[in-house]
Amino acid sequence: MNHRIAPGELILALFFALLGGLWVVAALRMPLWQGFIPQSGFMPLWYGITLAGLAAAILARLWLGKEQPRQEEPIGKALVVIAVIAATVLGFELIGFAPSIFLLLLVLFAAVERLPLARSAAVAAGVTAVLFLIFRTWLRVSLPVGPLGI
Amino acid sequence: MELLAQLGQGFVAAATPMNLLMCLLGVVLGQIIGVLPGIGPSAAIALLLPLTYGSSPTGAVIMFAGIYYGAQYGGTLTSVLINVPGESSSVMTTLDGYQMALQGRGGVALGIAAIGSFIAGCLGTVGLMLLAPPLSKVALAFGPPEYCALVLLGLTALAAVGGSVLKGLATGTAGMLLGTIGIDPQVGVPRFDFGQLWLLDGVDFIVLAVALFGVGEVLASCRMGAADPILNVGRVLPNREEWRQARMAILRGSGIGFLIGILPAAGATIASFVAYIAEKKVAKDPSRFGKGAIEGVAGPESANNAASAGAMVPMFALGVPGSNTTAVMLAALIMFGLRPGPDMFTTNASLVWAVIASMFIGNLILLVLNLPLAGLFARLLQIRYRWIYPPILAICLTGVVSHANNVEDAWLMLAFGALGWLMKRYDWSAAPMILGLVLGPIFENSLRQSLTLSHGSGTIFLTRPISAVLFALAVMAVTAPLWSRIFRAKTV
Repeated sequence: MNHRIAPGELILALFFALLGGLWVVAALRMPLWQGFIPQSGFMPLWYGITLAGLAAAILARLWLGKEQPRQEEPIGKALVVIAVIAATVLGFELIGFAPSIFLLLLVLFAAVERLPLARSAAVAAGVTAVLFLIFRTWLRVSLPVGPLGI
Repeated sequence: MELLAQLGQGFVAAATPMNLLMCLLGVVLGQIIGVLPGIGPSAAIALLLPLTYGSSPTGAVIMFAGIYYGAQYGGTLTSVLINVPGESSSVMTTLDGYQMALQGRGGVALGIAAIGSFIAGCLGTVGLMLLAPPLSKVALAFGPPEYCALVLLGLTALAAVGGSVLKGLATGTAGMLLGTIGIDPQVGVPRFDFGQLWLLDGVDFIVLAVALFGVGEVLASCRMGAADPILNVGRVLPNREEWRQARMAILRGSGIGFLIGILPAAGATIASFVAYIAEKKVAKDPSRFGKGAIEGVAGPESANNAASAGAMVPMFALGVPGSNTTAVMLAALIMFGLRPGPDMFTTNASLVWAVIASMFIGNLILLVLNLPLAGLFARLLQIRYRWIYPPILAICLTGVVSHANNVEDAWLMLAFGALGWLMKRYDWSAAPMILGLVLGPIFENSLRQSLTLSHGSGTIFLTRPISAVLFALAVMAVTAPLWSRIFRAKTV
């Protein structure tokens, strides 16, 4: 093996192999067959075996260099965006839905994308207001509420 | 002749100013609902139901029908423009629709979707008009073995949807595996909930679709230092060549959509999957699919609209809902004191024919609204991506949280979004995963019910004619590439 395997590709194949393995182990603890009827564990067991097998085949192809290598792109910004989304979800129960969504938009516009602050704040407020109006006021969906009541 | 006279009376009833207004309101509301992830047409109709109490049943049902087929088109807008399917029936549209938008053909993608939806909606309505009673009897002949075979046919799509067959099968199986999370519907015991109460309901389609397509796409596109191109909108009407490529796809999609739409619980989602695969199978160059093939938009879009008309066949003819939305509509009919069932066409003929006529009018309204608006919607692509993606994330989060009023779903969305991002980076197709999640539970339930019926004998799938035919089609779909290779080798 003198080729380089992309780490992300390896992570994906391993993730699916482990997921399949987890399902096999858990399904084996459930009833599989009773009389002439498949029980709760039967299909999950086969899904798990199939997924683990397919993931193993992909790992083998990666190892043998049969999968086309991809050009790696920078991942920094995507990781920042993931962190901002995670902070927003945390914020839902701490400060409420509307302030969290406003902050998500403001941080992404002004801090991550370095767009003008005043314009970022105006667009963030507008989008938050429209979403709040549609989902909370019009469709009457109960969204997480914070100390401000929104 | 009698049919035409009844349809004429239906048009007279549907064309009153009030009913026209209800029809317009329905299709516009439906389109808005279709755009928003997390809120489907069934939820919208349920929310509006109390507001229609005391109004004319005809006007209310016309509006509800408008919401139903309007939502199918609304889902197309987000699928094409931002790669987020608003409805499960729009997942297949993202594959080629979004690619068309990236190539500066977003206007044509929306245009052909509007034209296809109009033609399919009208053909589906003609089907509803002519074939409702006989076809509803066929739909009732569908038992668990037939559903199992139909789903198996749909599952043959797993390998065909993605670029790599092996990766497509793996992600499809992963979707089926995720579909086993939650309460086992056969015996009522929890499975794979890992002690988390919120997982008892399983992984919802909308969470996975929004995560893999919406969040995954955003994470893949907002990379550091990336160019922020302004995409061309392009024209809306297809040119002669595009129309030549799309016209048969529209007709095939209409037929597939209508027939599958009739089957209770199958509906627009399976119809759009099957229509996409059918187009890929009949294409001279299947490698164009997933890269902006116009048939990949025309087929599924026609199928999901025709399925809406098909789903009304069992509702009107038998009083059996064909989908979640028609179940709510059925409740509305009962609320208005009507009795849906075999005698609906005789005892409430004026209402049924007015609704059928209004569906022609509603589809025309959708076309008239959407052809000029397609260019306007597609102009969204001209806004710089750095202004677009934060609101997309906000919409995704709001849609997911509002769907089940559950913040845990937002965490799940984030995790699947990161997975979708990795999958996109390394060309692992996301669509088979959605397909697996939707079809997996139906497959498992129908298989277990079939084996219960047959006392464990697998011959039940081959001794029932409809199931045998569907199984044969599934085998043909899987082995078709092999046969064509053998045939080509012999002819060379």
